[in-house]
Amino acid sequence: MESKYSSLRTLDYGRLILKMLAVTLLTLGAISMIIPFLWSISTSIKSTENIFAHSAFWIQWPPDFSAYTKILKEVPIFQYALNTLKVACIVTFGQLLTSSMAGYAFAKLKFPGRDRLFVFYLATMMIPGTVLLIPNFIVMSKIGAVNTHWALILSAVGSVYSTFLMRQFFQTFPSELEDAAKLDGCTPISFYWRILLPNSKPILLTLGLMAFQGIWNDFQWPLIVLSRPEIRTLQVGLSYLTNEYYTDWNLLMAGSILTILPIIVLFFFVQKYFVQSFKLTGLKG
Amino acid sequence: MEITQDLTVVAKKESSLSSIKIREAIWGFLFITPNFIVVLIFTIFPVIFSFYMSLTNWNILSNPTFVGLANYQQMLGDSVAKETFLNTLYYTIISVPINVLLTMVLAAMLNQKMRGLAFYRTAYYLPVITASVAVSLMFMWVLSTNGLANQLLGIIGLQPVKWLTDAKIALNSVISVTIWKSLGMNMIIFLAALQDVPNELVEAAAIDGANRVQQFIHITVPLISPVIFFVTITGIIGSFQSFDLVYNMTKGGPGHATTVIGYYIWQQAFNYMHMGYGSALAYIVFIAILVLTISQWLLRKRWVYTEE
Repeated sequence: MESKYSSLRTLDYGRLILKMLAVTLLTLGAISMIIPFLWSISTSIKSTENIFAHSAFWIQWPPDFSAYTKILKEVPIFQYALNTLKVACIVTFGQLLTSSMAGYAFAKLKFPGRDRLFVFYLATMMIPGTVLLIPNFIVMSKIGAVNTHWALILSAVGSVYSTFLMRQFFQTFPSELEDAAKLDGCTPISFYWRILLPNSKPILLTLGLMAFQGIWNDFQWPLIVLSRPEIRTLQVGLSYLTNEYYTDWNLLMAGSILTILPIIVLFFFVQKYFVQSFKLTGLKG
Repeated sequence: MEITQDLTVVAKKESSLSSIKIREAIWGFLFITPNFIVVLIFTIFPVIFSFYMSLTNWNILSNPTFVGLANYQQMLGDSVAKETFLNTLYYTIISVPINVLLTMVLAAMLNQKMRGLAFYRTAYYLPVITASVAVSLMFMWVLSTNGLANQLLGIIGLQPVKWLTDAKIALNSVISVTIWKSLGMNMIIFLAALQDVPNELVEAAAIDGANRVQQFIHITVPLISPVIFFVTITGIIGSFQSFDLVYNMTKGGPGHATTVIGYYIWQQAFNYMHMGYGSALAYIVFIAILVLTISQWLLRKRWVYTEE
């Protein structure tokens, strides 16, 4: 349409130049995002004597997977992965359960003081994690949870933020369904379990993924509460590798790639929910 | 007769209504309790407890001794704390605006029909889903003496740089990695905001002769200003708490060149077991974030364009 008007033709050239500029910048950016990953992969399949021997762009072919076999043999990386998986699964289910329950109560059930409590909940979102580290460490050590996975689980099974998002979602739940259920003598708990939860899969998946990824990638808190080697999570275990394999970059890169891989695979399967969970994480104030 | 009958019916209805209400209230409390207990023990109690701790000397092994405001006074004379605060300020002032500006422009460029959109987006998301420890290890290698960065410099004939071991450069390197890792995150938020910008407004500006850049600056930016503001504030809050990259890449060094407040709190509390002093430092961060968040709420209406 526009190109029919000759006065707009000049604009079209400008538009073309802008678009080419945009594509160039985007491509440069995307390359700079991917190159460190590619270089890590390339390093991880080099033999130790080749790490420094050639230029960065030299690729060893056929690849040498000895860095992977060595790391799997010398470092209990499967144990770390199992630890992380265990904690991440328990936290994800626990957090989804407690915050969907609380979110339902805040959205649909009437009880005295509800709205004041909710405002209070919102206010606690302003509390930064940094200020909680020291007192929570004390609490965990008093209840004997330090150096056990309980320290990671207990503090994470209840989340104000995901309660808040659950409430926002449940508020949009059609009230006709709720009224019909009430007329049929449905108690709140059976409504919650049989009608509300089965119809809330998108939000449960999104928030579940957010919790899972949060625990999987969490570093500072597990570093503080876990010092026994056999209970370390992947991230803590990976971080300690730098003490043992100081400049064995092929090993360090192999380790990094092994810890990233599960999340990247998960990402390609459920990208939509990942993107949704980013948006929600971004809204965290 | 009839009247009394009616009355009893009404009374019955009322009592059954109120018993329904009471039952609903009980269910409400029951549903909130599990979550509330966790929040109470691990968020609300700690915030209060932390303030008490900041007034004590405590190395965990012995009992805490009450010292009043001594920890806060100590901060004033602590030259490392001063350096740390300055580093944090620098880190924030450099990383947040660059991040916001870059992500906004990237999102604007991605918010159009073009080939390979899915590829671009995935590329920018990769660093976001990658754990910070793995990112740290990758960049320790990229930025090492024989690393990729120096080899690229070598190609264009420049001398190698001590990215992580030169006190003048290290903090900038950490900032760059931070930006690299978080670009995709804010990009998604900006993309979502851009998709809500009504097309008619942009088209109207185009008809009035505004070019693409003018449209963006005069129409789009004011419309997404709440998001810009929001992303800036959350960016500042995030940089006040940053720890992972510094811990893994530089351990706060060389010297204290990359010691930011998030790292210094950890170091005081868990390296030197100065729980009280660490708590006092953390409380300063808490108050700073509180002031920022509250001012965000108050100023949002004044600074930011809204449709009303």
